Formats: sequence, C-alpha cells, structure tokens
Amino acid sequence: MDQARRRRRIRWWLLAVVIVLACVAVAIMWRPAIAPVSAVPSFDQTRIERGANLARLGMCASCHTPDLARPFAGGKPMQTPFGTVHSTNITPDPQTGIGRWSLEAFSRSMRKGVSRDGHLLYPAFPYNHYARMKQDDIDDLYAYFMTRPAIAAPARDNDMTFPFGFRPLVGFWNLLYLDHAPWKADPRQSAEWNRGAYLADAVAHCAACHTPRTVLGGPDLKRSLDGGEADDWYAPALNARSPSPLPWTREQLQAYLRSGIAADHAVAAGPMQDVVVLLSQADQRDVAALATWAHSHLAQAPARVTPAQQDGPLPAPHADDPDLQRMRSGYALYANTCARCHDAGRAPGSGAALPLQKAVALYDPDPRSLIHIVDDGILPPDGEPGRWMPGYKTILGDEQAGALAAYLRKYGAGQPAWPELDAAVRKARAP
Amino acid sequence: MTTYRLQVNGKQHAVDTDPDTPLLYVLRNDLELNGAKFGCGLGQCGSCTVLVDGKAAMSCLIPVSSVGARAVRTVEGLGSVDKPGVLQQAFIDEQAAQCGYCIAGMIMQAAALLERTPRPSEAQIRAHMAPNLCRCGTHMRILRAVRRAADVLARQPAGARP
Repeated sequence: MDQARRRRRIRWWLLAVVIVLACVAVAIMWRPAIAPVSAVPSFDQTRIERGANLARLGMCASCHTPDLARPFAGGKPMQTPFGTVHSTNITPDPQTGIGRWSLEAFSRSMRKGVSRDGHLLYPAFPYNHYARMKQDDIDDLYAYFMTRPAIAAPARDNDMTFPFGFRPLVGFWNLLYLDHAPWKADPRQSAEWNRGAYLADAVAHCAACHTPRTVLGGPDLKRSLDGGEADDWYAPALNARSPSPLPWTREQLQAYLRSGIAADHAVAAGPMQDVVVLLSQADQRDVAALATWAHSHLAQAPARVTPAQQDGPLPAPHADDPDLQRMRSGYALYANTCARCHDAGRAPGSGAALPLQKAVALYDPDPRSLIHIVDDGILPPDGEPGRWMPGYKTILGDEQAGALAAYLRKYGAGQPAWPELDAAVRKARAP
Repeated sequence: MTTYRLQVNGKQHAVDTDPDTPLLYVLRNDLELNGAKFGCGLGQCGSCTVLVDGKAAMSCLIPVSSVGARAVRTVEGLGSVDKPGVLQQAFIDEQAAQCGYCIAGMIMQAAALLERTPRPSEAQIRAHMAPNLCRCGTHMRILRAVRRAADVLARQPAGARP
C-alpha cells in the first residue's frame, strides 16, 4: 500500500520535472514571430549616410555581398566546424529579403540573433557583437538597408552536420555566449580610443576572427585577441602575443587599415583584404579611432630582437644544418623565385615587395597564412588598385612548397620549425 | 648542367641546362618556341603565360627543375598560321592585338579558362584574365575575343579544343 503510494508520488514528481524542463527548453529555444509590415517608412538622408558608414565598419558586405553586382543579396557559403552556412539576402526585397521587417524585427535580429519569423540565426552572423551596438546606430543601419535596391535572391540551403541543422539548439549557445549587457566606455581612456573600442567590439567585430574560439564555436574570452582564424587563415594576435617581428606604430596601423599596406609590415591578404576595402570606404576618423584602439593593444607586445631589424637578402643555409638538403632546396627556390622581387628586384617593377624577414606570416604560430600566400599570391581586390603577387600553386609541388616554407621560417624569421608544416601544405592544397 | 626531359605541346624534349633556369628561357632559347614572351621576368605581367598540367602559369617564374613530368603547352600548340585554333582565330577576328606582345600570354590564360569552364560568365572571364596586363589597352577587344571563342566552342561538339 505504502509502496504504491510512494511510486505514484515519484511518478508525479518526474512528470513535474519533465514539464518544468520542457518549459525551460522552450523558453531557451523558442522565439515568437514579429508581425510583417507592408510599408517601410521614409528615412532622413543623414541617417541613411550614417548607416552606410556603419555598414562598412561592420563589414556587412564581406559576407552579404559575394557578388559585387548584387549588393547585399547574400549567398556566400561559410565553412564552420558545424557545417556550411550561407549568408542571407538583406536587401529590402519583400519575399526573399528583409522588406517586411519592422525596425523591431531588425533590432531583435541584430541584438539577439532571431529572424523576423522567430527562427534562430546561426552565430556565423556576429550578433553576439552587434548586441552591444547603440540603438541609434541600429536605427541608422535599418535606414540604410531599407533604402538599398531590392534584389530577389532566396536563401540558399545550409548544409549542417547532425544535429546542428536543428536551429533551436542555438538557444543554448546564446545562453553561453550572448551577453546582453550594453557597451561601456572606459573613462580612463580618450574619446577617440573609446570610439575605436566601441567600433571594434560592437560593430567591426574584430574579435570574431582575432580571438580564438572554443570547441562550441564561441569566443574564448579568457584569450581575448590572442589570435584566431578566418577561412583557414591565421588571424594574428592583436595583443602582447602579436607575432609581428617589428613594433607597429599607430600611423602604420591606420595606413594598413585604410589601404591594406603598411610599410615594413604587411600587405592585407585573404579575409583581411575585404576588411580593408570596406574600411577604405568608411569615415576615416572612425578608421583612425580603430587604429588608436588596436595600437593600444599591440603596443603591449614586448620588444624583441628579430631578423626583421636587418635589411638585405636571406642567407644560404649553414653547412651543418641537420636538414641541409631540404633547406638547400628551399633556399634555391627563395633565390630563384621570391628574391627577384623580395630582395634583388626591389626596383619599381617589384611593387616594393616586403623583404621576407619582415613578413609577419613567417612569424605566425602556424604556417597556414604563408602557404595561402605562396600558393595563391596576393591579388588586388576586385576593381581596386593594390599589390600583386603571383600564386605558385601550379609552379611548386607539395615538397617544394614545404621546403620553401621551412627555409623561410628558419632562415627568414629565425623561428623554430612548424611541426605540422607538411600536413598543412597538403591540407591547403586538397581539392 | 643537368638533362631535363620536358613534354611540350605533346612532344618529348631533352634539354641540358641549370636547374634554376626559368622554363621561359628553355622554351625560347632551347626549343625555339618564341610565342611566350619575356615581359617583366617577375611574374607581374603575364606575357610568358603557358599551360602547365592544364593550368595557366607564368613560365618566367618556373625553374625548369620543378616542371617534372607535367605537360607544358604554349601558344604554338593551339594552331598554326595556316590553321589557327579557335582562340587564335577569335583574337584575329576581333583584332585584339595592337603591339601583340601580351597576346600569346592572354590566349594561353584564356585557354586555361575555356578548357575548364567552357561557358564562362562575364565575371569569370574578367576575374580569370585579371593577372595578364596589356599596355596598349586593348582589354575590351581581348575580352570580346574570349567571349567569341567561348561562343564558337559552344557550337562545336563536346571536347573541342580552344
């Protein structure tokens, strides 16, 4: 008798726990739709212009405009550890874009990563940064996007690995990584620094690539700006761990962010090229503020003695090098191919190529960026002037590319060998 | 001096030279295939473009020792004065050459595109041809010639060569 009653009580408790858990799960994973609007209000021209500037600073086009002829129509595939996500159409097309989104729906998507119809967006869209944007700035962005030409472009299907195709799971990611606290200025810093810090965090989302990610794909905040990755390129650390062999000045950073070229430092390549193209079109006071902010972090890097402080060609390998044959092969490739522009040919025709002992890619903790540059060269962005380097993927075999990278690492940068070099070469070249 | 065996335009050649000699020098000086031109010698202009294993490559940058068994094709491999290939004929029809120095490279760059992408879009043509420079400024005619060759190839049976 007693036992039966106890069993019944346990069953009731279990049911109650299940119901409570279900309610919690729904609260985490479910969001309501926001009613569509049929007419979009008109906007003040200054608001639209401010929105245009913020859209450039926020790099919206780098994901949402894969085809320059169709601005903001989306469709760019992005490889993530959880599958391939496609960017969406953010033009005001009523059927396939955001034409029926109210300001409230737009603000919710920016701050909480929720689409107008209530489905959760994947955090490839950096709403965890935009969440800290000032409401006035979100209003400006809304005005800008709602006044772009509408383009019909349906969203492409994502290709997610199981179980990440089930979008409500993103709700749990949001519990871990979506911080709703508004952005706070640092009163000890200048107004320009604070403007830069706000833009870097809430708008330009620098940390999305320059901070490493956890296994769950969230920012590893304990290692803020310690260096991350983007499209299989290494995104350098922007703090004391900066791999740069020479200290950056604020002016060099500003030139780099505006033009993609910093004398004696770097030429923007890979995903950073999109960033500098958009920054070149933004308000240059904002770019200067970003440089001030970034420089305050990079200035923490300790001074070091590196080969970058010397000029001149790279040396031949030492006769007692334990890996002499490979190093000789790498040196021959350097001398016959690279050195024509990077050393001997530093005449006008070479486009003032960087002496390789100054090239930051040689000092990175992994060889990915160097291999991408050697293989694919550096092409100026579409329709923009810029530096040109030919790609060597069709010219150098895997072994040659590996030997060249190993030689450059040792005799160019004087750094310990990359242990995973050969695997990285094969991976970068896999079809 | 080392002997290198090269397969160029379907023929085997043996060349005695230093390992770091650029493929371009071997093609022009040893094999007397003078279509590919020496422009800048720095991989900046594209006038030396040839196909290596079907991919466009600047032959001034390729040490002969790194070619190995990969098949090399030059503009001479596409056709002759009497029987020009489809691309060559299209460049003639559009009068795409002014001084002509860049044209062999342009044609080989275009050949690499059309062999892989027989019906290229305008954006694909422009992106693919971007590495090759023309100082006379006949780019619009060159682009027209590439489009014309693509159209001609589209009317020919599958597998037709540019």
